[in-house]
Amino acid sequence: MNILEILSYGFIQRALLAGTLIAVLCSVLGVFLVLRRLSLIGDGLAHVTFGSTAIALAFKLYSAASLLVSLPVVLLASLGILKLTEKARLSGDAAIGIVSAVGISAGIMLASVGGGYNVDLLSYLFGNILSITYEEVLIAAGLFCVVMLLLGLFFNDLLAITFNEGLARVSGVRTNLINAVLVMLTALSVVLAMKLVGIMLISSLLILPAVSALQLARSFKACIALAALQGCCSVVAGIFVSFLTNLPTSATIVMLNLLFFGASCGLRRLLGAKSSS
Amino acid sequence: MPVEIVATEGLGCSYREGCVLEDISFTVTAGDYVGIVGPNGSGKSTLVQALLGLVPVSSGAARLFGSRCDGFNQWGRVGYLPQSLHLLNPVFPATVAEVVGLGLLSLKSFPRRFTRHDRNTVDALLEELGIYDIRTKLIGELSGGQQQRVLLARAMVNEPELLILDEPTAALDPETRQRFYQMIADINRTRGVTVLLVTHDTGVIGQHASKMLYLDKRMLFYGSFEDFCHSPEMSSLFGEHSQHLMCHRH
Amino acid sequence: MRTLLLIVLSLTAMAVAGLTGCTRGEQQASTKLQVVTTLFPLFDFARIIAGERAEVTMLLPPGMEPHSFEPKPNDIIRISKSGLFIYTSRYMEPWAETILKGTDRRSLRVVDAGQGVSYLKGSAEVGHDHAGHGDHGTDDHAAGMDPHIWLDFSNAVVIVNNILTGFVAADPANAPLYRDNAAALNARLADLDRRYREGLSSCASRTFLHGGHYTFGYLARRYGLEYRSLSGISSESEPSAAKMAAMVRQIRSSGVRYLFAEELLSPRLTETLAGEAGVEVLKLHGAHNLGKDDVQRGIGFIELMEQNLANLQKGLACRSK
Ligand SMILES: [Zn+2]
Repeated sequence: MNILEILSYGFIQRALLAGTLIAVLCSVLGVFLVLRRLSLIGDGLAHVTFGSTAIALAFKLYSAASLLVSLPVVLLASLGILKLTEKARLSGDAAIGIVSAVGISAGIMLASVGGGYNVDLLSYLFGNILSITYEEVLIAAGLFCVVMLLLGLFFNDLLAITFNEGLARVSGVRTNLINAVLVMLTALSVVLAMKLVGIMLISSLLILPAVSALQLARSFKACIALAALQGCCSVVAGIFVSFLTNLPTSATIVMLNLLFFGASCGLRRLLGAKSSS
Repeated sequence: MPVEIVATEGLGCSYREGCVLEDISFTVTAGDYVGIVGPNGSGKSTLVQALLGLVPVSSGAARLFGSRCDGFNQWGRVGYLPQSLHLLNPVFPATVAEVVGLGLLSLKSFPRRFTRHDRNTVDALLEELGIYDIRTKLIGELSGGQQQRVLLARAMVNEPELLILDEPTAALDPETRQRFYQMIADINRTRGVTVLLVTHDTGVIGQHASKMLYLDKRMLFYGSFEDFCHSPEMSSLFGEHSQHLMCHRH
Repeated sequence: MRTLLLIVLSLTAMAVAGLTGCTRGEQQASTKLQVVTTLFPLFDFARIIAGERAEVTMLLPPGMEPHSFEPKPNDIIRISKSGLFIYTSRYMEPWAETILKGTDRRSLRVVDAGQGVSYLKGSAEVGHDHAGHGDHGTDDHAAGMDPHIWLDFSNAVVIVNNILTGFVAADPANAPLYRDNAAALNARLADLDRRYREGLSSCASRTFLHGGHYTFGYLARRYGLEYRSLSGISSESEPSAAKMAAMVRQIRSSGVRYLFAEELLSPRLTETLAGEAGVEVLKLHGAHNLGKDDVQRGIGFIELMEQNLANLQKGLACRSK
C-alpha cells in the first residue's frame, strides 16, 4: 500500500493534522510538567473529566455539549491541585491523587443517584484519533495556537519557575500567575484532547516525549524542541505503522514513544561512554 | 545621611511556619558589606528569605529600598544566590547561559523576551567570572564550585544594588573560597554594591565584611568587625581564646 | 487508564445495583419468585412469561456496554438470593460458571438460556479474509462462538422455552400461567420471524455493513444476508487505521448507501466511516442492553426488532409488500 493511497483517506488526513498538533502541545507542556513533578496531572484531570462528564450525561449533554460542564470543572480542579501543593504543602502527586479521587467519587455518586445512563459513559468519554471530525481539527488548531501563544509569551517565566520558584520570585516573576497559566493550559489541553484522541494518548504524550528529551537535550530550548519532535514523529509514524501492521493506532503511537524513550536512554549511555573515555 | 537599603523592625516569624526568628531590628546602608553569622539552625537563611518575601513574617516589618517587603517589586535592584544544595535538580536540562540569563528577567516587563544585547551581557559576565568556557554545559553536570559561580553570575547579571548571598562558599575548597570572598569584596568596593552574605565562616568573613550580624534566633550583635572582636557579649559567647583566634587568624 | 475507569464504573454499577436491590428487597418481602437475568432479551422474555406472578430484574445497569460487564460482589449476592438466575451462555457471560460454583444450588435454579440453540462460529470482520461467516476454522478464541444468539428468532424461541423450563421448575404452582404466557410470546416471535422473512425477501441490496462490533451474524444467516462489521465480537478492541480503510473500501465497492451504527456506544467511528464513504448512518439495535430512557418507557424486545426491520428495509432498499 503506498503512502499516497493512505493519505487519500480523509480520516487519516484529519488524524495526522489534529494528532500532530495535539502531540506537539502535549509534549511541550509535558517538559514543564515533568520537571515540576506534575507528570500525572494528565491522568488526574482525566478522572475529573470523568466525574464532570457523568454530570453532563446525567443532564443529557453529549459530546460537544458536555464540554460546557467539563471545561470549567476541570479548570477549577487544576487550580485546586496547585492550591493544595502551595497551601497544604503537599507534593504534586499527592495533590493530584486527592483531586482525582474527588473527581471519581463525584462521578460515582452522581451515577448511583441517577441510576444508569442512556449510553455507555466510557465510550463517550474517550475520543479516537481515527474518528476526528473536520470541526475538531479546527478545535485542535485553535487550542494549539492558544497554548503556543501563551507558552511563547511566558516562556522565560515558565523556565524560571521550573528551575526554581524562589529564585523566580526574586527575579520578579509572578509565580502564582505563571503556575496557574501552566496548569490551566494543561487542563484545557486534557479536556479537549481527551474528546479527540483519548486519554491514553494524552497522558503518554505528556510524559514520554518529555522524559526522552531529558535524556538527550543539551539545553532547555533543545529539550522542548526534541520533545515536540518526538511527539510529532510518533503520531505520524504511529498512524502509518498502524496502517501497515493492522494494529490499533493509539496503542501503536504509545509503543513508538516507548521505543523512542528506550533509544534515547541507549543513545545517552553511548554518548556518555564516548565522552568519558 | 547614608541611604537605607535594608531595614527591619522587630522582625519575627512563627515557629509554626518552620521559622525561628524573634525581634530582629537592623539597618543596612548603601555600600555596606554585612556578614550574617551564627550557629547552625540559628535562622540565618530564614532571615534573608524573610527579607526577600520568600517566607511569611508574623511580626514586625522589613523594608527593601524603603518599601515594605510584601509589596516590593523593584527586583531589578536585587540579586540573590540561594543555598545551592537545596536547589538543583540534577537532570534539569538548562545550560549555564540559560540559567544566568534568567537573572535578567527582573529587568524586563511582559512579555519577557531576551535580546542579542542580553546574550552579550551574559557572555561578558561569564567571561569576567571565568566560566565562559562552560556556558553551553548543562547546569546539572557541573561541580559544586562551578554551580556556585554560575548562580553567582545569575545573581549579578542584572547589576543589582543589593546582593544577597546565602552560604555561597559551602561547596568550595578553601583556596577557591578565599578567592570567592576576595571577588565579593571587590564587587562591593569597586561597584558600590551592598552585600549581605550568610556564612558560618565567622573568622574569614570578618576579614572582608564591613559589618557583622551575629544571629541565634535573636540578633545578638550588629556592628563592625572591630567592635565584634571587642564585644564582651561575644567574648562570653565564644570565650576569650576563641574570640582572639577568630579575630586574629591572619 | 481505561481499566481503572472500568473498575470505577463497575463500582458505580455496584452502588446502583445495591441501591435498587435494597429498596426492592424491602418492599417485596412477599413470597413471589425472584428472577435475575443478565441481558435485556432474557429480561424481556422472563418478564413476559412471569406476568404478575414473579419479580424479574436485570443485572446490567442501564446504558452499560455488556461485553465488558463483570458481576460485583453485590451482584453475586443478588444472584444467590434469587430463586431463578438466567444467563445467555458461557460465550456471553464467561463469569457465570465460576460464580455459580460458589452459590447454593438447592435454593437457586439456573437457566443457561443458550442450551440447544444453533451456534455460529467466529466473526466476519472487515480485513479478515472473506471466508464467509459460519465457518471460521482458524478462530483464535478456544470457544469462539458468537454470543448474540437472540438475534436469530428461532433461537429466541429456544431461549423462551429454556426460560419457561426454569420457571416451571422453580415455581410449579404457577406453571400453567407461565406456559400460556410463553406460548403467546413464541407465537409473537414466530410472527416477527415471518415479517422479517417477507420484509427482507425482495431487497435491492443483500449486504449490510455495521460500524460497531460483530453483532448481527445470526440475523444475517437466517435471512440470507451478507454482513460485515468494523470490529470483532468483543467491542473492546480498538480498530486499526488499516481496518478503517478496509471498511471504507468495502462500503464503496459494495455500493451500499447506509452504514449501520450500534446502540449505547458512541457512534463516532461509524460516523467517521460513513462520512468518509459518503453514506448515511442508520441505527441497528443489538438489544444487549437498554439506555435509561428506553428502560423507563418499558420498551420490549419485539418492538426493538420491529424498528430494526424498518431500518434494515430502508438500508437495503427493500420493496415493502
Ligand atoms: Zn455484542
